[in-house]
Amino acid sequence: MTYELSADVGGTFTDLVLRSDGAQIDIFKASTTPANIADGILNGIAGIAKSLDLDTATFLGRCDSFAVGTTIATNAILEGKQAKTGLLCTDGFRDTLLIREGGKADSYDFYVDYPPPYIPRRLTLGVRERVNAEGGVEIALDEADARRAIRRLKEYGVEAVAVSLLWSIVNPDHELRIGALIEEEMPGVPYSLGHQVNPSIREYRRTSAVAIDASLKPLVQKRIGEISERLAASGFKGVLTFIASSGGRTSPAEIVSRPISLCLSGPSAAPQAGCRLSRQEGVTKGNVLTTDMGGTSFEVSVSVDWKTPMHREGMIGDHMFGIPSVEVKTIGAGGGSIARVDAGGFIHVGPESAGAMPGPACYGRGGTRPTVTDANLVRGLLLPGHFAGGQIELDVGAAERAIAEHVATPLGLGLMEAAELVCLVAEQNMIAAIQDITIRRGVDPRQFVLVSGGAAGGLHAGTIARELGIAQVLIPRAAGVLSAYGIMTGEIKMGFARSLFTSSERFDYEGVNTILAGLRQEGVAFLDRMAVEPSKRVLRYSVEARYAGQVWQISLAFEKDRIEPADLPGLVESFHQLHETFYAVRSPGERVEFTEWSLDAVGTASEGGLESASLSAADASGALLTTSRAWLKDAGGEIDLPVYDGSRLRPGNVIEGPALVQEIVTANFIPFGAQGRVTEQRGLMLTLPIDEAKRLAA
Amino acid sequence: MFTMVVLRRRVEAVIRDMINTLFRTGRSGVLNTAMDFSCSITDDSLRTVSTALGLPVHVGAIELIPKAVKEKFGDDIRPGDCFANNSGYHGNTHCGDFTLCAPVYFEGELVFFTIARAHLGDMGFPTPTTYGPLSRDVYEEGLKLPCVRIQRDNSDVQEVVDICKANIRAPEQFYGDYIATLAAVRTGEAGMQKICAQYGIGTVRKFLTQFQDYARDMAIDAIRQLPAGRVRREAFYDSETDLYPDGIPVRATIEVDPVEGLVTVDLLDNVDNLPLGINLTEATMTASCLIAVLTVLGPDVPRCTGSFSRVRILSREGAAIGRPKHPAATSAATSNLTQLLCPLVRSAFSELKSGLGSACGTIGLPGSCAVVSGVDPRHDNRPFVNQIIMGYWGGPGLHGHDGWFTHGSSGSNGALWQSSVEMVEQQQPVLVERLEIAVDSGGAGEWNGSPGAFCIFRSRTDNIRYTANTAGHDFPPFGAAGGWAGGRNDSWWEDKAGERRALPNSLDVTLNTGEKLVSQACGGGGYGDPLDRDPARVAEDVQEGWISLERAHRIHGVVLKTRGEFVAVDTEATQRLRDELLERQPVVVTTARRLETSH
Repeated sequence: MTYELSADVGGTFTDLVLRSDGAQIDIFKASTTPANIADGILNGIAGIAKSLDLDTATFLGRCDSFAVGTTIATNAILEGKQAKTGLLCTDGFRDTLLIREGGKADSYDFYVDYPPPYIPRRLTLGVRERVNAEGGVEIALDEADARRAIRRLKEYGVEAVAVSLLWSIVNPDHELRIGALIEEEMPGVPYSLGHQVNPSIREYRRTSAVAIDASLKPLVQKRIGEISERLAASGFKGVLTFIASSGGRTSPAEIVSRPISLCLSGPSAAPQAGCRLSRQEGVTKGNVLTTDMGGTSFEVSVSVDWKTPMHREGMIGDHMFGIPSVEVKTIGAGGGSIARVDAGGFIHVGPESAGAMPGPACYGRGGTRPTVTDANLVRGLLLPGHFAGGQIELDVGAAERAIAEHVATPLGLGLMEAAELVCLVAEQNMIAAIQDITIRRGVDPRQFVLVSGGAAGGLHAGTIARELGIAQVLIPRAAGVLSAYGIMTGEIKMGFARSLFTSSERFDYEGVNTILAGLRQEGVAFLDRMAVEPSKRVLRYSVEARYAGQVWQISLAFEKDRIEPADLPGLVESFHQLHETFYAVRSPGERVEFTEWSLDAVGTASEGGLESASLSAADASGALLTTSRAWLKDAGGEIDLPVYDGSRLRPGNVIEGPALVQEIVTANFIPFGAQGRVTEQRGLMLTLPIDEAKRLAA
Repeated sequence: MFTMVVLRRRVEAVIRDMINTLFRTGRSGVLNTAMDFSCSITDDSLRTVSTALGLPVHVGAIELIPKAVKEKFGDDIRPGDCFANNSGYHGNTHCGDFTLCAPVYFEGELVFFTIARAHLGDMGFPTPTTYGPLSRDVYEEGLKLPCVRIQRDNSDVQEVVDICKANIRAPEQFYGDYIATLAAVRTGEAGMQKICAQYGIGTVRKFLTQFQDYARDMAIDAIRQLPAGRVRREAFYDSETDLYPDGIPVRATIEVDPVEGLVTVDLLDNVDNLPLGINLTEATMTASCLIAVLTVLGPDVPRCTGSFSRVRILSREGAAIGRPKHPAATSAATSNLTQLLCPLVRSAFSELKSGLGSACGTIGLPGSCAVVSGVDPRHDNRPFVNQIIMGYWGGPGLHGHDGWFTHGSSGSNGALWQSSVEMVEQQQPVLVERLEIAVDSGGAGEWNGSPGAFCIFRSRTDNIRYTANTAGHDFPPFGAAGGWAGGRNDSWWEDKAGERRALPNSLDVTLNTGEKLVSQACGGGGYGDPLDRDPARVAEDVQEGWISLERAHRIHGVVLKTRGEFVAVDTEATQRLRDELLERQPVVVTTARRLETSH
């Protein structure tokens, strides 16, 4: 038997997924060891080996591949544990990281502090030089000045250096020369150059990206090295890859040279998991909303035609990392989100969360404020003895007291109504997040299948879908480890980009084709390094384009690796179409500007075999576990809600809503009027009544 | 409560949808880089639903727009109509803001108005700008659209579009912006109709009433936390008229009645309309007062008609700080005096109770926010006209927080986005030579104002025209509660030999290749006594290069030691110095004063 393994190393848990002989999927969880994540990974691997009756070395020896997603970069930024980093910039522009791009979330909220720059001003030094918008040199690089600045950083003891000069994307000579001077003056100290890390226009995004990249180099190099060495020492001989911001997998060497690509590693794999799982369940249209609801947050991404859009505005904390990343929207809505009623009598749920400590009131760890989990317990959608695999016995009385005191009494509602209201508000927040991301992409959520992941997702996905007019919800068996599953099944991918400004009126064929040839060369070299076999190689080109006068570009994909005069009209027309899709308007005949050319070099992943299951009859009564006294407004109030034992359900079983399916660690809710079917892959597919959906969306 | 939760989210989603449409498709720089636009919705009785997502000065009194439509067109409104307005005498903010308003019908009944307001790069002003601080009357302010129908049956009223195109410098850019703004109101129209279809018009109407009651109750509750009292304050604005050689006084009185849950802002005691374009419009005067009070009440109070009803504003027609009397000029009504009035009202709260209110942020738009026009030889001499929003900083200090760095002024409260140097240089033949903090320009206080920007533009071709309506040179942004004023605004023209000549507040200068516009913008005022500033914060200010050692010593009374990159406090020496400074007569450098306080 051969194995493929993946791990999603989060802040608290390391999720592991094992695929045996290309088909059977098994899921494991281990505790994360923050000080050295390699320990947690190895502990998890030892656990898996044990469950297979193998010793670790034998098991690892049979693993062909190991793919890892890790929050080390994300957490280092959030916790300020990155290296002491200096920034060299164009003289006169020390405040780029301070100014950012302006804007404020709530202009009426005065009582807030402005976030400090990613690199302190005292470690940001200007260097005399200047390139203009066309790449011409306005002021030649003053090498003596550059050396002075580098020596000062050395004196200050910086561990890494970022270099970001204005217009280095058009003419990188000065940045390259400063890089060479750093090597002379501070040999061995890692550095990053703006035009290489994020070759896109807008100095803040590029500078922020290069600052983050340089600051992560020492740490990422160390951690990745530890993981590689520990695995090798334990008998692993297969291919080790890491999941990047783009949702693609790449080699440890690529990550070490560009550690910024580890930003959001982990969650970035969820969308492709959603797509792949939908495909396996026979979804054909490729329109997938992938959601993940955990204890504190809810994440959603939208994939159209199996493709998940990328954006360049990814943030970690207050800092934009700028490189193309899978667009995942996150809001503070989870099982631990706290409900409160304000002075005007309006209810709010989240973003404040009770976290794991004290946690929801029903955990009995000292929490007294009501959370979404408390509300679900009170209204009978959680069974007190079955929560989190029976590890925590939930205290119904504590949950009732919290809901009564903080919600029901102030609003003059009954306890059950109050509990349902808390859930409704949380669901409305999640609906708003889904609408926001679909609006921005110009797509209609009714055309989508919703994939529900996360420990808390299954209780709310059906209701959310019905409200949005979505007819199909998939709660996969891997719902609890969606990202780890996506990491396992993700494609090999690396993005390459260059800036070149040109327009449809005076298109620079020579310049563009030179760039495309260069990108192709870089991409092919990457695929060679990753040993991707020829039949699995795909080169995906795209260009950032806009109408003249606009300053926000949209990403336009194209097929050819050269652009000839005959190809231009097609490219321009596809821009008009895309603009119309996103913004409902087009300006035919208007000049289109192109700013940045990109290539994703991809090694496609194998689909993987499906589990074969013989279908059972629809009747699910054999799996009936108990009934729960539950309160559901749309079912007319209090009812006896049938609860099914997920482990006893068989593919083909059908359950009419309202009903609850109790899995080992999670519970899934089938709303009133909906139907749940256990799929061949042992997931739960909900079908919402389509006429109901239509009525709501009329 | 169930429907209220749901409908609140739905309406917010519609407004977000409108904003997204405008942001990504607009053409003028102020639109698509600075986000200088706002979208809103009112019901047929002109109650606003939510203004959480707009530019404060734009949306504070946006219901005046549909009010003008109803007053002017009465029954002659029908589905598919859209009305354009840029007139300060018809409820608009100022002539540079192009505002569209569409009626929303459901089952044959007028139920809502959707409104999108966009500040355009050019709106047909006689000179290439959208602000005319020196205009003597409305006839010097160019194109007026006094609430006119621009679409009927969802098709353009061609004559109106033609008039706009004939008057506006960059007609193609204008048409692109018009289409983007129109797309926003039509998106809002479709969104609101969908909500009515989904939930029923009765439910939606009931929600609107409930939501206004809720917002009102939240405002009353917040006002009940304030002490009762009355404060009258005065500040001065840089004069560009002989009528007020010593500065133009701006006066405001606030009266807080916690029992009634009501705040009164009295502006009656102000000077008559000036022969300048800085007179306020009804929209900007109202918005300024509402922003001031609502920011004091805190971000949890919804900003809509219900909460606004707890602020009573007394104003006079024909007053510069009031409602304009025709033909007074108002083209600079969203900037200049607005930016002084709002913080003046807010600062009055600092005299009611220590810790309330704030100092003053940027006044005027500095030279680095110039409207730039000319032709671009890099693109076949294509004409361009655009407002740059760069170095628009100068946030006011307030208790517990230094000024928000990119606050700009009170009309935006930090909502405007800052232009990217590279985008500016790609779109105009201008080179930005420098854009950095002006050291020591943030007003000193226990909580400092944020600094102003030092910025230099160099023309890369001949005949580039820069216009800007700066302020705060004679009377820089005031401090509050013992805080000092922020640094003053200065602008210079620098010739090729490097010689600088000072430019007036309302600057209009044409620079040839190699000539420069040098701008040092206002810093925000400080809050609280600078001697009370935590010495560790002062050390950090010096360490990070925001203030000089000299200021730390002289104004904050902090003695510092430098070690490598770090700056540390000499605690004992600091205590001695502070004791010494306290014995001297306090000198507070500020530009606003209390006229009267009673509790």
